[in-house]
Amino acid sequence: MGREISQRPNYQVLAIVTLQKDRILGGSQLSLLANDEEQQKRITQDIAKAMKADVVKMKDGDYLVIRV
Amino acid sequence: MDTEMISSQYLVMIVTGIVMGTMARIMTIKADYRQYPSYPNGYLIHLVTGFVAASLGAVAIPALMTKNFVAVTFLTVAIQQFRDVRKSERESLKDLENTEFAFRGDAYIDGISKTFESRNYFALIVALVSSLTIQIVNLEQIWLSILAAIVTGGLTFYIINRFSKGKSVGDIADVKQGEIEVKGSELFVDGIYVSNLLGSENAAKMFNDEGIAVVINPHEEHFRIGLDNFGQRQAILFEATRALGAKRYHFSRKEYDDGRIVITLIPIAGDINKLIHTVRNTPILESVKKSSKLMNTKFIGRE
Repeated sequence: MGREISQRPNYQVLAIVTLQKDRILGGSQLSLLANDEEQQKRITQDIAKAMKADVVKMKDGDYLVIRV
Repeated sequence: MDTEMISSQYLVMIVTGIVMGTMARIMTIKADYRQYPSYPNGYLIHLVTGFVAASLGAVAIPALMTKNFVAVTFLTVAIQQFRDVRKSERESLKDLENTEFAFRGDAYIDGISKTFESRNYFALIVALVSSLTIQIVNLEQIWLSILAAIVTGGLTFYIINRFSKGKSVGDIADVKQGEIEVKGSELFVDGIYVSNLLGSENAAKMFNDEGIAVVINPHEEHFRIGLDNFGQRQAILFEATRALGAKRYHFSRKEYDDGRIVITLIPIAGDINKLIHTVRNTPILESVKKSSKLMNTKFIGRE
């Protein structure tokens, strides 16, 4: 696995969309707070479409927008 | 003026050598499922360099026979030229990396460019052997000499072609269809975790509806060393996306317990049978080859 880290593709986290304000701690990515789950999905989808990126749904409910 | 002209025997020798060498290059230009270099300019470039290689091989014997020993040093020029073929092929493929569905990877590019270089040596050696045969047999009837040259040239081609032929994935592993399962945003193939990049509902639905996957299962434990190699897996993934196209996602993943490899993608065109065929025929890269027999060698200094 360590070997693979040095290989392409390199992922870049573009945005994090969460429902809990205290989960936004900082970082270079865009961090957005959604009011409800529907809005969270919609925002994530819009950003992913605009940035031609992929979406990861984390088990805690947050969404990450990632670009390869 | 006539004394400076080349004799008809040497002329036959050179022409036969050139024809045999160029034929050897033509026969090694493949237009298979990999579709490389089956485009007109690719053909032309490699046929011309093959012709030049054959010419250099064909004139070596007449040069020696006329005591023109210095002229034989142009074989070193030939080797330099073939290295340039490798270099230009590598540069060309690296330039294309960002335009493909998936990366070829450095290991695959290295393998392809070395193959192109070696195939010029095919042309040179076959031409050399053919013209040498005419010189050695030196028969009264020239057509018998030509026939002998064709036979030995053909035999030489067969031997070096066999020698340089590598294995493919299908020779060392089973390739079977994998069952795709999307759990939430996670993708599994035959129970092997592959990716969690399917976070959006669209992505999950798309993979469920259109995704295809194969699982590569190595025949022997030691074959895992080659198959697990990142360059080898990248080459397999590249060939898969090259043959079927990639509408959106493509992944490769190795499973550590049994050494199974997963290749999965959403194709533009093609079905699972085409994917299995492509993966089976992907070459095992020279740079990742490992002989398990050599590991047990009993050379001096080893127990």
